[in-house]
Amino acid sequence: MKQPIVLDRVFEEMVESPVNVMVDRALESGRKVIGYTCTYVPEPLLNVGPLFGVRLRAPGVRGTPMADTYLSNVICSYTRSLLELALEGAFDTLNGWVFAASCDHMRRLYDNLDYLQPPEFIHILDVPHKKTPAAVAWMAEELSMLAAKLSERFEVSVDGEGLRDSIARYNQYLAVMRELAELRKRDQPPISGTQFMTVMTAASSAPKDLVVPGLQKLLAALQDAPGIDDYRARLVLAGSQCDDPGYTKVIESVGGLVVADRTCIGSIPGLAAVEEGGDPFEILARRSLTNISCPRMMEEFDGRVAEIVEAVRDYKADGVVLQTMKFCDTWGVEASPMVTELRKAGIPVLRLEREYALSSEGQLSTRVQAFLESMGK
Amino acid sequence: MSVFDITSASVSLPERFSTYRQRIKTFTNISGMGLRLGTRFMMEAPRKYPWLKTLLTADTLFDMSTRARRGPYRQASAWALSEVIASITDMLEGVFGNPEKTVMHEDLVPPEILTAMGLNPWMAELLGIMGPLIRSDFAEEYIDAAENEGTPPDVCSLPKATMGLVLKGQMPHPKAILTSNMPCDGGMSSYTLMEKRLNVPCFRLDVPYNFYDDRSAEYFAKELFRAVDWLEEHTPGRMDWDRLREVCTLRNRATEFQMEVWDLLREKPAPMAGEPLYLGHMIFQVAMPGREKSVRYFETLLAHAKKIRAAGGALPDERYRIALWNPPTLIYPELFAWAEQRYNAVMLMDMISYNRHPYIDTKSPETMMRDLARIIMAGPMARHTRGPQENFFSDLFELCERFSMDMIWMAGHIGCKNTMALSGMFREKCRERGVPLLIINYDLSDTRVVSPAEVRKQAEAFMETVMKAGAPVDSEAKAS
Repeated sequence: MKQPIVLDRVFEEMVESPVNVMVDRALESGRKVIGYTCTYVPEPLLNVGPLFGVRLRAPGVRGTPMADTYLSNVICSYTRSLLELALEGAFDTLNGWVFAASCDHMRRLYDNLDYLQPPEFIHILDVPHKKTPAAVAWMAEELSMLAAKLSERFEVSVDGEGLRDSIARYNQYLAVMRELAELRKRDQPPISGTQFMTVMTAASSAPKDLVVPGLQKLLAALQDAPGIDDYRARLVLAGSQCDDPGYTKVIESVGGLVVADRTCIGSIPGLAAVEEGGDPFEILARRSLTNISCPRMMEEFDGRVAEIVEAVRDYKADGVVLQTMKFCDTWGVEASPMVTELRKAGIPVLRLEREYALSSEGQLSTRVQAFLESMGK
Repeated sequence: MSVFDITSASVSLPERFSTYRQRIKTFTNISGMGLRLGTRFMMEAPRKYPWLKTLLTADTLFDMSTRARRGPYRQASAWALSEVIASITDMLEGVFGNPEKTVMHEDLVPPEILTAMGLNPWMAELLGIMGPLIRSDFAEEYIDAAENEGTPPDVCSLPKATMGLVLKGQMPHPKAILTSNMPCDGGMSSYTLMEKRLNVPCFRLDVPYNFYDDRSAEYFAKELFRAVDWLEEHTPGRMDWDRLREVCTLRNRATEFQMEVWDLLREKPAPMAGEPLYLGHMIFQVAMPGREKSVRYFETLLAHAKKIRAAGGALPDERYRIALWNPPTLIYPELFAWAEQRYNAVMLMDMISYNRHPYIDTKSPETMMRDLARIIMAGPMARHTRGPQENFFSDLFELCERFSMDMIWMAGHIGCKNTMALSGMFREKCRERGVPLLIINYDLSDTRVVSPAEVRKQAEAFMETVMKAGAPVDSEAKAS
C-alpha cells in the first residue's frame, strides 16, 4: 500500500520509547509527569500547572519474567509489560502514577507496583461500572479527591479555574486529532491506519502542548495530499488496548486499510471534545463514564455494538477486526456475543486474540488475508 | 479398600445406621421433589435438565464426608450434608414450580431482598458449584459449550460452566436476572451472554472498589433501592419491608449461632471442621440466608459442635490446622477428609466462610439496605478478590491468628486472575511471617487441567517436605 506522505521521524521515535523525547524535554524545563494506565483516568486533571499526564506504554519489552513472578502469567500482557519495565527502571523519571480500578488486571498492577516499588506518588480511582447520575456524582468525588491529593503532593492548585483552562487546552489537542481522523473518512484517505496510529500513540504519551504544533503541521500537509487508492478493503479496528502500530502495519501489508480505531487508545470515542463551562469535576466524570467502549461498563453492550456499527457506516468500512488481548476477561467473554451481533448487522468480523507486544506476524497476516478474501476483496 | 484414598474408619453399627438414615432422607427428599412437581415435570425434566441425574446421586457425597470420620463428628457431617442437599432441593422446587417468580442472581447479590419481595432467589452459579462436588467432571461439558461459543479457555471455569448451562438450554428459565460487577471480570461479563441467550431483563448492581467506608455503603445501598424499584417493574415481586425485617432478623440470629461456632473453633482440638462449616455457610448464609432453616442449621451446628467437643474434638489427635484460601477445591472435596485421616489436619476456615458478619440494623428500610450492602461488600470473595490486596492478606492473616492455623493452603485456581496476580506477594508475605504456604495448582471445576490425584500429590509433597508430617498418623483407621 503506497503512503502519500512520510511522517516526521519524531513520531516514530516517540512510539518506540516508554518515556519519549517530549517528556524528557518537559522534565528538563522543570515540569512534572504523571503516568496513567487507563482511558478512565481523565488526562485534563493531570495537565495542571507544571504537571502533565502521559498514557503509559511498554514498547520494546522483551519477555516479562520478573512481572510473571508476581502477577503470574495469566494476567494480561499489557499490565505485565508495564510492571516489567517499571522494575527495570524504565519509568523512574515519572513523578507519579494514577490508576483506575477499571479491571482486575489494572487493580492488581497497582497493588504489585505499590508493593514492589512504591512510586513517589500513586493513586487509584474507583471508577463505577455504570453511568447513572449517582455514578457520575461518585466519580466526580473521586476526581476531586485525586485533585486534592495532587495539590497537596505537588503544591499546585488543581481546582476549578485551573481545570477549566486545562480542559480548554486539551480540547485544542483533541480538535487537531479529530481533524486528522476525519481525513480517514475520505474514499482515498491521505493517511494510512499505521501512520494515524503512530501519531495517535505518540501524542497520547506526550505533553499535549509540545505535541500539538507537530500535529498541526501534519494536518496542514495532509489537507491536499493525494489519497491511498490501492487498498483492498477498509477496516475498523476494534477491541482492547492496542498501542503498537506494528499490528496495523501487518493488517495493511496485505491490503486492509484501517480507517478507524475503536480501541482504548484509538480515535473513537477518545477524541470527542470535552464539555467546557460548569463544574469541571462533574464534566470529566460524566465524560469518563459515558465512554462505554470498554466492556467493564455494565449494561452497555448494545451501546458498544452500536458504536462499532456506526463507525463502520461513518468510515465506509467493509469489515471489523475485533482484537482482544489474551487473558482480558471483559473483552474475552464479551467478544463472542459481540461477533454474533455484528454479523447479525451484516458486518464481516475477524476476531483476533493477541499479546500486547507484536508477535506471530506471519500468522496474523495470513488470517487478515483470508478475512479479506472471505469478503470477496 | 479405599474411596478417594480415604480409608473407612472403624465405626459402630449405630453410627453407620445414622449415616444411612441421612442418605435415605436425602434420596427421598430429591425424589420427593419430582413427585411434588407432578408427572409432567417427571416426564420432561430428565431430558430438559440432565444435570438432575447428577443431583439424584448427591447422596454419594456422604462417602466423601463420613467415611473417614467417627462418632459425633461423623454424625454432624452426615446431618450437615443432608441439610445442604435438602435446601438445594427446596430452592429448585421453587424455581421449577414457579418460574414467574424466579429471579436468577449472581452469587454476590443479597438474596434477602428477593425473599422479602416474595420472589424465588435462584443463584446461577449454584449448579456449577454443587455439580463438581458430586461428580468431579460434571462441569466439563458446560465449560466446553462456553469455549465452543468463543469464550477463551483462560476465563474462570465457574462462569464458563454457568454460561455453558445457559448455552445448552439447561438453565431453568427465570423471570429476570439480578447481578453485579462481582466477583471478577469474567463473572461480571458472563451475564452479558446469559442475558442475551435467556432473553430476560437484567439489572446490574455496581459495587465500589474501595468498599470499606460509609460512602461506599451508601452508594451501594442506593443501588439496592434502585434494584428493588426495577424488580417491582419487571417481576411480580413487591417489597414488603416488614418481611425484610423478619428476613434480616433471621439472618442476624443465624449469624449469632455461627459466631458461637467460630468461638468454639479456636479450641484445640477443634469441635468441627470441613464441609459442615464451608458448605453450610455457602448454602445457608450465601445462597439462602434469612430463613428459619438457616437459623436452625447454625443452631444445630452449634449443638453438634458442643457434642463433639464433649467427645474430645472432631479429631481428638488433631495435629495441624489448615486455613484454606480461595474457594474450596470443587473437583476434589475429599481433600479435606483425606488430610484429616492422613495427617490429622483439620481445615477450619476458608475464604468463602470467613467474612465479616456485620449484624443488620432492622430499624428502617435504610438501615437494612445499608447493612445488607455492607454484608455483600464484606462478603465472600468480594472483599478479597475485587478489593485491594490489603483486604486479601489482612483477613487471611487475621484468621490464621484467630484460629491458630499452622499453615495456609491456597487453592490456586488457574482461572482466578485476581488471586493469581497476588502469588508473588503471597509467597513473600507468608515467608516474612513464617507461615507455611501451599499453593495448589489446579482448576476449580475442570479435572482435565489438573486431576484430583495430582492435587492430592501436591498436598502430600507439601506435608511431607515442608511440614515434615511423615507417615500417615491415623493407624487405627488405616488398619480398618
